[in-house]
Formats: sequence, structure tokens, C-alpha cells
Amino acid sequence: MITFSNVSLLYPHSTKTILEDLSFEIEEGEMVLVMGETGSGKSSLLRLINGLVPHHTGGILAGDISVDGISTRTVKPGALAHLVGIVGQNPLNGFVTDIVEEELAFTMESLNVAPEVMRKRVEEVLDILGLTAIRSRSIATLSGGEQQRVAIGTALVMHPKVLVLDEPTSALDPIAAEEVLSVLHRLVHDLSITVIIAEHRLERVIQFVDRIIYIHGNGETAIGPAEEILQKADLVPPIIKLARALHLNEIKTSVRDVRRQTEDIRSRDFPTVASSTHAVTPAIIVSDISHSYGAKPALHNASTTIGHGEIVAIMGRNGAGKSTLLHSIVGLHSPDSGTITVNGRNPVTLKGPQRRHAIGYVPQEPSDLLFAQSVGEECAQADNDNQLNSGSTWALLNTLVPNIGLHTHPNDLSEGQRLALVLGIVLAANPEVLVLDEPTRGLDYRAKNLFTLALKEYATQSNRPVLLATHDVELVAELADRVLFLAEGEIVADGTTLDVLLSSPAFAPQVAKIMSPKPWLTVSDVVTAMGNSE
Amino acid sequence: MRKPLHPLTLWIASIFLAIGVVALDSAYIAIAIVGVVALFVFIRRDGSPWNISFALSLRIGATILAIRTVVGVLIGVPIPGRTLFTIPILHLPSWMPGIRIGGAVTLERLSSSLHEGIIIATLIALFGAATSLTSPHKLLRLIPSFIYEIGITLVIATSLFPQLATGVRRIRTAQKLRGIEKVKLGSIALPLLEEALARSLQLAASMDSRGYGVRRKRSRYRPQQWLARDSAFILLTGLLTLVMVAQ
Repeated sequence: MITFSNVSLLYPHSTKTILEDLSFEIEEGEMVLVMGETGSGKSSLLRLINGLVPHHTGGILAGDISVDGISTRTVKPGALAHLVGIVGQNPLNGFVTDIVEEELAFTMESLNVAPEVMRKRVEEVLDILGLTAIRSRSIATLSGGEQQRVAIGTALVMHPKVLVLDEPTSALDPIAAEEVLSVLHRLVHDLSITVIIAEHRLERVIQFVDRIIYIHGNGETAIGPAEEILQKADLVPPIIKLARALHLNEIKTSVRDVRRQTEDIRSRDFPTVASSTHAVTPAIIVSDISHSYGAKPALHNASTTIGHGEIVAIMGRNGAGKSTLLHSIVGLHSPDSGTITVNGRNPVTLKGPQRRHAIGYVPQEPSDLLFAQSVGEECAQADNDNQLNSGSTWALLNTLVPNIGLHTHPNDLSEGQRLALVLGIVLAANPEVLVLDEPTRGLDYRAKNLFTLALKEYATQSNRPVLLATHDVELVAELADRVLFLAEGEIVADGTTLDVLLSSPAFAPQVAKIMSPKPWLTVSDVVTAMGNSE
Repeated sequence: MRKPLHPLTLWIASIFLAIGVVALDSAYIAIAIVGVVALFVFIRRDGSPWNISFALSLRIGATILAIRTVVGVLIGVPIPGRTLFTIPILHLPSWMPGIRIGGAVTLERLSSSLHEGIIIATLIALFGAATSLTSPHKLLRLIPSFIYEIGITLVIATSLFPQLATGVRRIRTAQKLRGIEKVKLGSIALPLLEEALARSLQLAASMDSRGYGVRRKRSRYRPQQWLARDSAFILLTGLLTLVMVAQ
């Protein structure tokens, strides 16, 4: 279906080759995962398939790519619209109209498809993706998962043979991600559509894919069956880490298979380790707050206390009220009722340097905080703001991520480096409380590891609380001490990470699914427990 | 959900009413019409983003009314009548005859200024009502296909403004939370422009890969139909206008 022969790609004004001499073939009805570190060229590879690269972006392309016998060299992306459906990283930015049905019809309208055919196909796609209930809704009012399904629908109406998706689940909660992936799985199996997908959260997609294209970032690429590539890869999901730690002789990618391999471990008895619950002094006290936007209630009578040195994760579906709770705690707005104190102060009243020192906040788009022309200038600004000796922020940043360029423009940093830069700037003020909104979007496993270590160090060394809202179950398992679970604006669960994550199958991390009913969340939990028993 | 009227219906109706209001030139009837229209907008609103344009038009109308009244009272040819109060006259050079600033404010002068202001505000409110109940996307679908391309460009341009507005708010908030109290234009403009540029590129890429502009002729999905109630609605407002003009 898709043939790459000796493809090399070089962007203008850049000396780094993105892809070098890449050759592979993808068969009809295959599901292929493209993986690699952030900035390694995954998106470029995906966009080569329908010719967006280089027709739309510029760049030098050597070699040849053909899709269903048509060379992308000779035709523009639009001429492949009936053959290749492409869904970008942020679907909301790609929508042209405002109503679901009209958005679905857009491609067909451009290609002058007869109205009767259009009606039929729109109905068909609404059925396949379960969008019938929201067919006449405005796109802006849909949830993230619904938007993603509409985006897939816009590609499917043309009956494409190839579907290309760039990080389709990165903004979604675990349940919405599951919905999207099961739709894809069905398309591959029922309609034999070829699906090519790029994703960082391998734990979500790994059980569905047939083959993996692994881009190493230095121009080298490997392609092969999922098990074979993962055997040697650096970036691997917990399920593979577990197999390596337990020295299993075969690498498997589905929970079911690994459960079968580890039956003997689960059947053994392990001494239960008493969890050390040490009393903590409260830092953030949220008592009975409610908040609503217009007529829409966002938070309802939420109360909790967060102690010094605790790392607390806020979880819940999209729109459950996570951001509203965070915004109330950092003092973005006064809640309609109830009170919040952060180390004894009302967060709404904080200003300037006082605020920097009281609450460190990393927003959902870390780049919102950046406006200087280089990393060095940003660091100097932070030194200046906090009356530190020049070079302090830079030194701090280097402990978070080594080898970041002093003169690099913040835009040219990878996602992980940019997050580290913002974290460095925020931490330079030595804040008493650290609050992060959805920090790991677009981070690969390596960047996520560094980030986890940095947060843990901050929390334990200076005995200060960290609060983060996230959809990333694996991150929560590795990092958090406690989880607050929100639904419809109410805190429905508040307990240790172990209790909360194990009680819901949808929010359980991979290791917990494999090792259930044993109370282990991460690979290191398993290793420690086994070490203790020997 | 109620089925919306044809996008053109409300526009034609408001043009009719506007003609009627101007022809009749009665402030009381004008206020009554604004009241009825406000009620109609309130009943027919469906939570779309353009619904707020009616409230916006009312605010613009009120501002114009206020300015018109103040200017009308201060500047202009004196109208004889019952004096309400007197403000000092500003002496103008002799080469500006016939214009007076200040002086006696008569009831007649005040009421004529108010009257004109109300008529202008009513016209604005009528068109505000039409915009607030008509989807701009649907309206654009009705325009002939040879200017459809321009239309779609307009849609993208108009969708960019609300995005910019929310972008400014988001970035400003983030920076306030970093403890930056003083707003520097550069510190907001830079991230904002970057974001807007990235978004436009993504939209262009998406339209490109969805076959936009490949065929010269476009087909239309579910063209909006002109129904009997649209005709009835137009007929009703048409009759009302006739009555107002004939008066």
C-alpha cells in the first residue's frame, strides 16, 4: 500500500538530516506505530505519506514515496485526499467549519461529490464512530475525545485506504483514549484500512500494533514486528520494562500474554510491607469550595488538605473540574463559596515577587511563560526577578537537563527541554508550593523520567508539596503519593495512589493490570517485593 | 431543538423593519420594536457564540444614544421652547457663525436629540438581532460559489479573532502567575503571534490535505431550504412595514 524507497529528508536552513535512506513497505490492513524521541522526525515521516512534506513545508526530499501506486512527488496533498486521511496532533486547529455534520462533509464538498452520496457517507461515518448523538452540535462545545473522533470521521468519509494519525490520544483521558483506539482497531480489522500512528504513550497503543518504525534521531531507523523492535529499544513502555526486569524469555505486548507468563509470580505469597504513613503538616487547605462558569457548575463542595512534602495528582475525565480546582488553588479566581489557604494565605491576594515565592505554577502550555529570544536571556530574566546571582537559574536548569544550548531560541527546544526550562524558571524563585497543569503532554519516556526525578527531589529535599493535574496514569504511578479523583466537579476519591489506581480498571497502570490482584503499580514495586521475599 | 429559519429570512425581516422605523420616525414605536426583537432573540437563542452580538449591538446603540444626546445638547442651533437649564456659552470666533456651544437647554432640544439617538440605536439593534440568530457559516454557504473562496477566507479570519482573544487572556494569566505584574507588549505579542502563526499553518495544512481547491466546482451538503414559515415571517414583517410607511 505504502512504499518508501531510499527516502532521505532535509529541511531548509537546517544541517540535520531528519531521515536517511529509509526504505520500507506497508501492506494493506496493517497497523504501524512510529516511535522515537521528541523531535526525532515522527511527524515529518507521517506527513511525507500524503505529501504535506515537502509540498507544504519545503525541504529536500530524495528517493521516492508511493501510496497505492501514486508517487507523492507528482501530485499535491489534495489530490490524495480520497486515498489518505490525515489527522493532525491538535484536531481543533484543523477544523474548518463549526458543525459536526458540515465538518464531515467538507472534504466531499471540495471534491465535488454528489449531494446524495454525501448524505449517505455522512450517515455511515456517524454510525461507525458513534457520533449520531452529537451530529448537529457545534464542534467547539465537544469534549476532547469527541473532537478526536470527529477528526477521524473527517478522514473516513472519503473511504481512504490509509489513515495517518499524529498522537491521537495525547490530550485525552484514559477512557477517551481507549474509545479512540478501539475505533481504530475495528477499522483495521473490519475495513482493512492501513493505519499509521505516532504516539509517545506506548502503553496505550502497543497491544494494537503489528509493526513499529523506530526513528533513532540520528538519521537511523529500524522497522520490524513490535516485539522485535521493543526488545532492543531504549524507549519502552512499562510492560516491556517488567519483562526485562523479570528476565522473561519472550517479549509480549498484550496484558493477557504477560499475565500468562507471570502466573507463578502472582501465585507466590509476599510479605505485605506496612506502608509508612507519617503525619504531615497541612500546606494547602481547601475547604468546601464551589465554583461555576455561568450556569455550568464546575466544582461542587470540594474539600481537601495537602500536606508538606506530599506529591498529589489530580485525575479525572476531561471537563471533570481539574483545571478549575488548580486555578482556584493558585488564586486565578475566588471560588463562588468556600475558602482556600496556601501556607496560611489567601492565594488571590498574592502579587509579584511574593506570589513567585509562594506558589510556582507551570501552565498547560509551558511556552506561555516564555518570551525572551534565547534560553540564556530567559535565565537572566529569572535571576533578575528573584535577585539571584547571575547564572543561578542556568545552573539549576543544567541539573534538570544537561546539554541544553545557552543561545538556543526557546521555540527550537524539544518539548521536554522547554518544560525543563519553564520548570527551572519557576523553581528559581524557590516556591513554597509547586502546581503543574498537565505537564507531560508530548514527552517521551526519557524526558518523563528526568521530570519525575526533578519533582521528587523538590518535594523531598525541601519538604514542600507538589500538586499536578494529569491524564498520565503511568506518571501518577511513578510519582504521586496521593490521588484526588474528580468527577462532575466533585472529589469522588481521595486516597493513596495505590488505593485509588487499583480500584478502577480504566485508570490502572499496565503493571497493576498484569500483576492484579497483587498491590503493585510500577516495575520497581515488583522488583522490590521480589527482592524482599528472597 | 427548534429548526432554525432560513439564514436570509431574519436579514430581510430586519431590513424591512429598519425601513419602517425610519419612515415612521416615532421613538415610542422604535422602543417597542426593540423590545419585541429582544424577546424574540431571547426565545430563539441557541447558545452559539454569535448569540452575544445582540447584547453587543444594544451596548453600541446605548453608547451612540448617550453621545448623540450629549453632543446634541451641547452643540447646535438653538431650538426655542421651555428652558430646562442653562449652561455657559462658549464664545467662538466670528468666522464660525450659526454654531453655538452651550447656552440654554430646552426640552425640545433634548427630546429631538434623544429621538434621533433612539432611531439610530434601533437600527443597530435590528441588525444585531439578525447577526445574533444567523450562523455566519450558513450565511456564507448561500453566497454564489465564485466568491466562496473569499468567503471561506473570511471564516478563517473571523475564527482567528476569538482565538487571539482567548490567547491573550491565557498568556496574561500565566504571566501574572509567574509574578509579572507589569504588562509588556512584547511579552504577550511574541507567544501570541507564534501561536497564531502555528495555528494558521496547521489549518492550511489540514485544508490542503482535505482536497481544498482541487476541483474548481464544489458541491453543497444539505442546502438550506426556503420553507413556508420563512415566507410567512417575511410577509408579516412586510405588512408591518407597509403599515408603518403608510402612516
